[in-house]
Amino acid sequence: MSGGDRMQLNARGGSAAGLMRLAGRTSWPYFLLLPTVALLFAFTLYPLLQGLWMSLFRRGLVVVPQVPESIPVFVGFDNYLQLFADKDFVVSLLRTVLFVAVAVPLQLAAALGLALLLAPQTRFNAVIRTIVFFPSMISGLIIGVIWAWLFARNSGLVNYGLSLLGIPAVPWLEQDQLAQIAIVVAWVWGGAGFNMMILIAGLTAIPKDLYEAAAIDGTSPWRTFTRITLPLLEPSIVVVAVLGVLGAFQVYEIVVSLTTGGPGRATVFLVQNIYETAFKKPNQAGLAAAQSGVLFVILMVLTILQLRVVRRRG
Amino acid sequence: MTLFRSPGRIAAIVVVLVLFVLPPLWLLLSALKPQSEIFQWPPSLWPEHFTLENFQKTISRANFGIYFLNSAIVSVSSALLSVAMSVMAGYALAKFRFKGDTVIFLLIMSAVMVPLQIVLIPVFLVLRDLGLLNTLWGLIIAPAATPTGVFLMRQYITSIPDNLIEAARIEGTPEWRILLRIIVPLALPAIGTLLAFNRVWRWNDYLWPFLIINQQEQWTVQLAIANSIGRFSINWPRLLSMTVLSILPMLVIFIALQKTLMNGLMAGATKE
Repeated sequence: MSGGDRMQLNARGGSAAGLMRLAGRTSWPYFLLLPTVALLFAFTLYPLLQGLWMSLFRRGLVVVPQVPESIPVFVGFDNYLQLFADKDFVVSLLRTVLFVAVAVPLQLAAALGLALLLAPQTRFNAVIRTIVFFPSMISGLIIGVIWAWLFARNSGLVNYGLSLLGIPAVPWLEQDQLAQIAIVVAWVWGGAGFNMMILIAGLTAIPKDLYEAAAIDGTSPWRTFTRITLPLLEPSIVVVAVLGVLGAFQVYEIVVSLTTGGPGRATVFLVQNIYETAFKKPNQAGLAAAQSGVLFVILMVLTILQLRVVRRRG
Repeated sequence: MTLFRSPGRIAAIVVVLVLFVLPPLWLLLSALKPQSEIFQWPPSLWPEHFTLENFQKTISRANFGIYFLNSAIVSVSSALLSVAMSVMAGYALAKFRFKGDTVIFLLIMSAVMVPLQIVLIPVFLVLRDLGLLNTLWGLIIAPAATPTGVFLMRQYITSIPDNLIEAARIEGTPEWRILLRIIVPLALPAIGTLLAFNRVWRWNDYLWPFLIINQQEQWTVQLAIANSIGRFSINWPRLLSMTVLSILPMLVIFIALQKTLMNGLMAGATKE
């Protein structure tokens, strides 16, 4: 390794060899890491493995010796096979996939529009950005409450606005598809500002002289957008897409306060279905663990796929 | 980048303002109306009879104060614990080379891929086995280790010059003093940002308390809000005022630290 390489390595790794020599051989860094590693192990990594293991058993959530059905019985991949015949699970899975496919591109488009509108660094834009970002500071539960109140049939602002246009009251939260639309709207609204900030960071990093050159050549604004802005913004767009997909697959909190899964089961998504299987149906914890396993595999495959796209391009 | 020019730009700004100001404002204005006016049709945009009646009723219900206090205790303690742990871990990963450092770093970061949503059942069992169910301790400890926090602190501490640490070691300063007297003061900006973020995340937590708490005296504000939503009937005057009250502390933090929070975000922190 040449001297230059080593310098670079130090600059990146941050710790000079001399620093370590003085610290000597010490258990100090392990001690510093212990609390974090212990808690992540207890509440993330061990539960993940335990959950995958549980998915191979038929068992109750809590094992009670007096209830034979709650005692774990090894069933191999039976739970996974059983899932495909479980209508509630299959429907909630497909509904979640559809939600991801609709809500993520919509939120990306909204965030991109906002970013293009508000990227120029002026005081006025800074104020508007703050307002648009604010929903990122409140919980999904409260975003759901805000929109439930806006969508209320006989007292909501949305229907009032429509009535001014002569449109009769729409039963937003009482019809399957309308309720699903309401969830998408609330979800897009709640996350747009956060994603806008990521995209604005990306936009600010695009060299100004590219735009100047395009302006001198008389390139149309649309061509400038498709030939310069979009390609150079791609890394930020990928980040927004990855975070969006991961988040949308876990959609639950907004649903709790906006529709509680209704009408009927029209807005029950995967996470709610897992929860209900585990905690509300007797002795189906293994089945619920298998559903979690499916969700985990989906999230992992999508993350790895998207990271590979980034690496190939980068 | 100049796709939007006036007057199209002005129109777009107006639309954005309406879409993002009106929903929370409508919530606040509705909460300030008397019950009869809340459900009036056509609705009054501006309250015709301003009243604090809904807030008084909510606050005077003895329990709401307790929920608020629980949320405050949990979010402040958990944020402090989380930041302390992140500074320790971040320092270790930024300034030490030791056996297994890369593996530990990757292990910590891989936890990003495992959201609570997919480990609900086993986490519930772990909490039960540790005796943390139905305790505020559970709410404080369980979410405290965050890969995001460790990553943020590691990035920040990496930029602290090595020779400061080196000089202290030559003088024979004990390691814990180096951490407390050199690293912590120099990392204060990042510590502040992370503290604010954690405070917001933990105040907003719903799934953790939902999993851990089922005794009403230990409800947090979010749990109280979720539980006041019946499937078939909702007490809107109460729900609206509770929601407004639950947003207020976040609004204060946001207004006070708006620059720090939004720039911290740019520096690589992400929402949980």
